Amino acid sequence: MESSVQSESQIRDGTHGSPRVYSGDHLPAIRRELEYINRIGKRFVAAIDRFQVHRALLAALQELYSFSACCILLKSDPYDLFIIPCYPLDAAFLESMILRIASAASVIDFPDINVSHLARTAYFDAPDELAQTRTPGSSSSTQIGACLNIPLTVENRIIGMLSLFDEKPGTFDAELLQTSTMIADYAAVALENVRLREREIALWRDAELERQRLELIIRSMAEGLLITDARGAIKSLNSSAQQLLAQVQIDFTLDIPLRQLAETSNVPWLPRLTEIIDMALRGKTVTNQELVAGLNHDAGEAVALTLSISAAPLHDASGTSRPIGVVAVLNDVTSNKQVERMKDEFVSVVSHELRTPLTAIKGYTQHLVRRIERRIRKLHVTQTRPASTSELPESYDLRSLNIVQSQTEHLERLVNDLLDLSQVQWGQLKLNYTTFYLADVLAEHVRSAQASAEQHRIRLDIQVASSKVTADSVRIGQVIGNILDNAVKYSPHGGQVIVRLTEQEDGDYLVSVLDEGVGVSPEHYAHIFERFYRVHNTTSHQYTGIGLGLYVAKAIIDGHGGRIWFTSNQGIGSTFHFTLPHTPQAKAPEGASGDI
Amino acid sequence: MSDLNDNFSSVSRKQVTELYLKVIRLIDERVAPYLGKATTRALVQGAARRVTNKYPFLSCLMKQPYTDLEPSIIQEQLSGVTPAELTAGLDALLDECFAGLRELTGDLIVPPLHREVTDQLRQLQ
Repeated sequence: MESSVQSESQIRDGTHGSPRVYSGDHLPAIRRELEYINRIGKRFVAAIDRFQVHRALLAALQELYSFSACCILLKSDPYDLFIIPCYPLDAAFLESMILRIASAASVIDFPDINVSHLARTAYFDAPDELAQTRTPGSSSSTQIGACLNIPLTVENRIIGMLSLFDEKPGTFDAELLQTSTMIADYAAVALENVRLREREIALWRDAELERQRLELIIRSMAEGLLITDARGAIKSLNSSAQQLLAQVQIDFTLDIPLRQLAETSNVPWLPRLTEIIDMALRGKTVTNQELVAGLNHDAGEAVALTLSISAAPLHDASGTSRPIGVVAVLNDVTSNKQVERMKDEFVSVVSHELRTPLTAIKGYTQHLVRRIERRIRKLHVTQTRPASTSELPESYDLRSLNIVQSQTEHLERLVNDLLDLSQVQWGQLKLNYTTFYLADVLAEHVRSAQASAEQHRIRLDIQVASSKVTADSVRIGQVIGNILDNAVKYSPHGGQVIVRLTEQEDGDYLVSVLDEGVGVSPEHYAHIFERFYRVHNTTSHQYTGIGLGLYVAKAIIDGHGGRIWFTSNQGIGSTFHFTLPHTPQAKAPEGASGDI
Repeated sequence: MSDLNDNFSSVSRKQVTELYLKVIRLIDERVAPYLGKATTRALVQGAARRVTNKYPFLSCLMKQPYTDLEPSIIQEQLSGVTPAELTAGLDALLDECFAGLRELTGDLIVPPLHREVTDQLRQLQ
């Protein structure tokens, strides 16, 4: 086939800037060329894999030349070489071809091309339907007669090289070079499309595998998992979640928002679930929200099925602030709750049982103290020779008994804390309101604390004219006692503790207990008012306690409508504050008697 | 191209650079219709890689296409290089370009292009 495409110089010379006019002789040639381009173009467009591209390429080139082999070198990792012989070739010829390909590739700057690697990894593709026969009588040659190498370019980027070889010299023609390059361009685009398609398929396969893996994980999770859309309608829930929610006859997969379901159903816990999901839909991550989802009859006895739900907003890859849904994890914590309840009951029973002997110890100790005090007074009166009271053996006994009494009171406080824990846990903390002077209660507790902590200096600083308040004086005393107990416990010997009473701008009393102790390190800030939470650090090993004092104190202050908090400078000391309204602000807890 | 060396003794490095860039552009113009626009750039980069051991000042052509280079930018990298050295280096580069082109297409387009380039170099001296 002869090319009618003219070189740029030829065109410039022939047209002189005027529109091109073709003579009648040129038109059939142009038509033939267009038909040829159309035909080969269709073949390349229809090719869906690289072997179909090879066939299209070979067929197109065979219309131009008769040659021995066509090779495609593609830049990949590092290179792919495809050899497409038109008929069986001698091994030496093949070897020479690979050498020439490597040499030509290096001139157009293909880095690190390696002949032996190419020879080892070359693919052979010999389409039978395009196989040619040698000229009868000719034998297989070991020498390359003619060679043409054309870079394969896509959008001015060289992606590889097309090489044509023939055993005879002079096979390739300068006149057909442009057409050959055009075919190479078609092939380059088709090969690039194949590469992109292969990559797309590989990515799709990877994504599908990942999806299946994820689905398997979600399906085998012991925790329930549900995913909603932006409206709060459940789009997906795993089998564990289905089981947990199975006791209500609601089909959660009907694409109805939970809010709508909650409005139309009488399931008591559905509004709570909706509330948790709505919080996450507003962009907030919520953790360990408890929800009592009816009764569980598994163990033969009906127990409240308690779920702990954590939910987080789902955002799409574009990073828009509005969530596209929510992912929530449902944990069945019923058995934990049962164990917790059993533990609380046990603690409550043991505390009650401890209280009886403690009361006896306390009573008899008080009795003994009074007897010894009387005896000392009597001895003091009857002795002819006055002696120092402190030298009497009774005085030693009295001091010992005072320590027993103080420790018994401490033990009693601990037992009371344990009993209070049960009350707080089950919302049964009782507050008995009376009107009293807060300063008096503070003074009494400061005195008591000072008696059992001789090595500390406890100072009371009252900065209000009147401290009349309506509250539960015993409970408020308990709060002060717990805070003071901690202040003394965490202060060094000789340290000073100040109990200060002031009045806030809003009229509430503010009680502050300042110590010179070790302070609280920041990692404990969020947990300090949690039950059984104790600060464990290298300096706290010596301190005793069960971590209930502040938990109970918070419950008491909350019950009065006040606030409790602390400020801390690690190494310098802590200050615990609580506020107390003149009259209770919060609704009195159930069972509270109100003699206000 | 080595027979042209002596005639450049009186010109500046900038003139030499401009002259050779013009010649490479001529090769580009002639080669592009046959082998595509990217080929000459790759040929020049490949040629620069091969001659850079002997003419290190041509390494700039290895790192970026010659079309992105401005003579004024090359000047900075050519400080200390005499016009004669530069001419020899650029001659070697042209020789490698033609060798590369011959490696690709044999004698299909090289002989007439070589003649045209030689003529142009003579005219531009």
